[in-house]
Amino acid sequence: MTEKPAIVLRHTGSPDPVVLREVCAGAEEEGVPTRVEQVRDADVLALAHAAALESPLETGIGIDGAGGVAVHHASLPQDDPVHQVEAGSPRPDLRIAGRTAARIVKVLPL
Amino acid sequence: MTRRLVVGVDIGNSTTEASVAAVSGDSAEYLGTALTHTTGVKGTPENTDGAVSAVRRALERAGRTESEVETVLLNEATPVISGLAMETISETIITESTMIGHNPATPGGEGLGVGTTVAIDALAGASGPTIAVVGAGWDFDDVATELNAATERGLEVVAAVLAHDDAVLVVNRLRVPIPVVDEVGAVEKVPLGMRAAVEVAPPGRTIRTLSDSYGLASVFELDPDQTKQVSPVARALTGNRSAVVVRTPSGDVTDRRIPVGTLTLTGAGKTLQVDVDAGAEAIMEVLGRVQPLDDATGEAGTHVGGMLAQVRDTMTDVTGQPAAEIRIRDVLAVDTFVPKEVRGGLAGEVAPENAVALAAMVRTSRSRMQVVADEVAAALGCRAEIGGVEGEMAVRGALTTPGTAVPIAVLDLGGGSTDAALLDRDGVSSAVHVAGAGELVTKLIGSELALDDREQAEAVKRYPLAKVESFFHVRHEDGTVQFFPEPLPSHVFARVVTMTPEGPAPVATRHSVDHVRRVRREAKRKVFAVNAVRALKQVAPGGSLRMLDFVVLLGGSALDFEIPDLIADALAGFGVVCGIGNVHGSEGPRNAVATGLVDAHVAGS
Repeated sequence: MTEKPAIVLRHTGSPDPVVLREVCAGAEEEGVPTRVEQVRDADVLALAHAAALESPLETGIGIDGAGGVAVHHASLPQDDPVHQVEAGSPRPDLRIAGRTAARIVKVLPL
Repeated sequence: MTRRLVVGVDIGNSTTEASVAAVSGDSAEYLGTALTHTTGVKGTPENTDGAVSAVRRALERAGRTESEVETVLLNEATPVISGLAMETISETIITESTMIGHNPATPGGEGLGVGTTVAIDALAGASGPTIAVVGAGWDFDDVATELNAATERGLEVVAAVLAHDDAVLVVNRLRVPIPVVDEVGAVEKVPLGMRAAVEVAPPGRTIRTLSDSYGLASVFELDPDQTKQVSPVARALTGNRSAVVVRTPSGDVTDRRIPVGTLTLTGAGKTLQVDVDAGAEAIMEVLGRVQPLDDATGEAGTHVGGMLAQVRDTMTDVTGQPAAEIRIRDVLAVDTFVPKEVRGGLAGEVAPENAVALAAMVRTSRSRMQVVADEVAAALGCRAEIGGVEGEMAVRGALTTPGTAVPIAVLDLGGGSTDAALLDRDGVSSAVHVAGAGELVTKLIGSELALDDREQAEAVKRYPLAKVESFFHVRHEDGTVQFFPEPLPSHVFARVVTMTPEGPAPVATRHSVDHVRRVRREAKRKVFAVNAVRALKQVAPGGSLRMLDFVVLLGGSALDFEIPDLIADALAGFGVVCGIGNVHGSEGPRNAVATGLVDAHVAGS
């Protein structure tokens, strides 16, 4: 497999740039790479879970059209995400979503 | 022969136990037991509610009704009340914001940068080696742009200090990487225009220069006198992955001793004083010289004085005796440490401060158990009497443990006090109570781990630890791994947890399983192993533990998963057989007193 280890982040096209930037920054500060993919419309849990299944690190993030964020792990049932942030949440909360995904990979308290 | 229903009730400091037996002639058949929380302070009329509900529950388990009960037997409780206090006796103070040593999880870059501190928006006018100080509200992209621009202008930016958790993000965007320390909450207090040094070690390493006295001397070109002055800074930073040191005119890190008052101990015809900040060893040494203790008082206006006064007041409520007549008969002092936020720190630095924990114990000869007996009789519509003295009943109950014989000593490991009783070959028994037991252990665990929540400290005391390593498995403290078919909740992910009957519960600590385990075992050893020896020496013939043959552990803490082993270790050198009580070969270490009461009643009638 040539794929580099990364958290996979899936969105449905034209996500709020602030949301995308802050979520990615949260993971970057922890030192874990992210790979951003655009897919067809789906709800935020489905996006996050599919991203986790796709990720070589089994960790995924979904951002839906409204700007809601979910963090998921491939081993968990789709309707039971690790972490969720509502659309319109302040920046620090978005940063935390990215950090949470990175900490799952690093096995650190979330 | 008629079978009569007799119930033994043991009212303890924290629990009330009842044991139902059907008695015919000189034999008793045990039908059921129950355990409830003691209501009110032991030895007071408030105990009635707990006693009655314990009896009712025991009857329910035995499948019997209240109307069948002939007699309820209560113990003559020696009212032992304990109080706890904790005194911090050292304090770390940083003056002039001379250092930052909070160890953020993700500092940025690597290496050492030495220069002058300059606010990021004043970089334009700076010259020479510069350390950028970035306040709250700055975005990481803007910080990186400013620093890159300054470097482009030819300014030598050697390091940065940030308010937010942005160090890695900033360093990733710099053309020339520099060491960056972040999460400095009070960054606005960093003195500007001062010579400073920032050091970040590679992952898995600790800083080498700022944690070394001569390293600091080299960085700041200090003379021998100044080097002496900054050596506490180096010590305070030892073990950190990152640090900032600012050279200010008289900046310092001091470790101050806090005077917390004196303890006056009277006994054996002597009155001796000891400063509480001298530590546990000094206090216990002075206590040893005034044994048996007649009374202890704390200096008025100090916490120690306040605590001892409070214990006295509680006892006054229990017995109706005036406070002036109440005597403190034992004290246990334990050295401990309390993580405290450093005064003058800029980033919420925490230093382990020395502290002394004190347990004090009061006893009187007067108890109001007869009032409890009368009220129990009225509530249950049967006879209720005081069947015997606690210590003697405990020995009697303990003797039903298979494999024991007189002379036998029991150690009752309770919540407030550790009690010892001895029954010798001639049938003579003696008993002592010493201060310090389960509640002190909980307090030590809670303060050493800085747990705000008493329930968490209690859980750490009672249950083994584990580390949650994935959503589906935990590694127990002994290294074994357990898989769970259902995902574990995310609030326990990667955390140190206690394995409670309800499942893993998180412990709010950044420490490792090993550290928490060490704190837990040390707390138990400092209280129970020390008190086991102290109490047994007072009942052993000639004060020699070698004269004891059998020691039986009773009480709630005898059910603990490691306290019996710690005590057995402490007694191993004295040739004593030590083990957990198993009343009537089936009841375990509980119900010894309640069972002893029934047995004594049967033997007497």
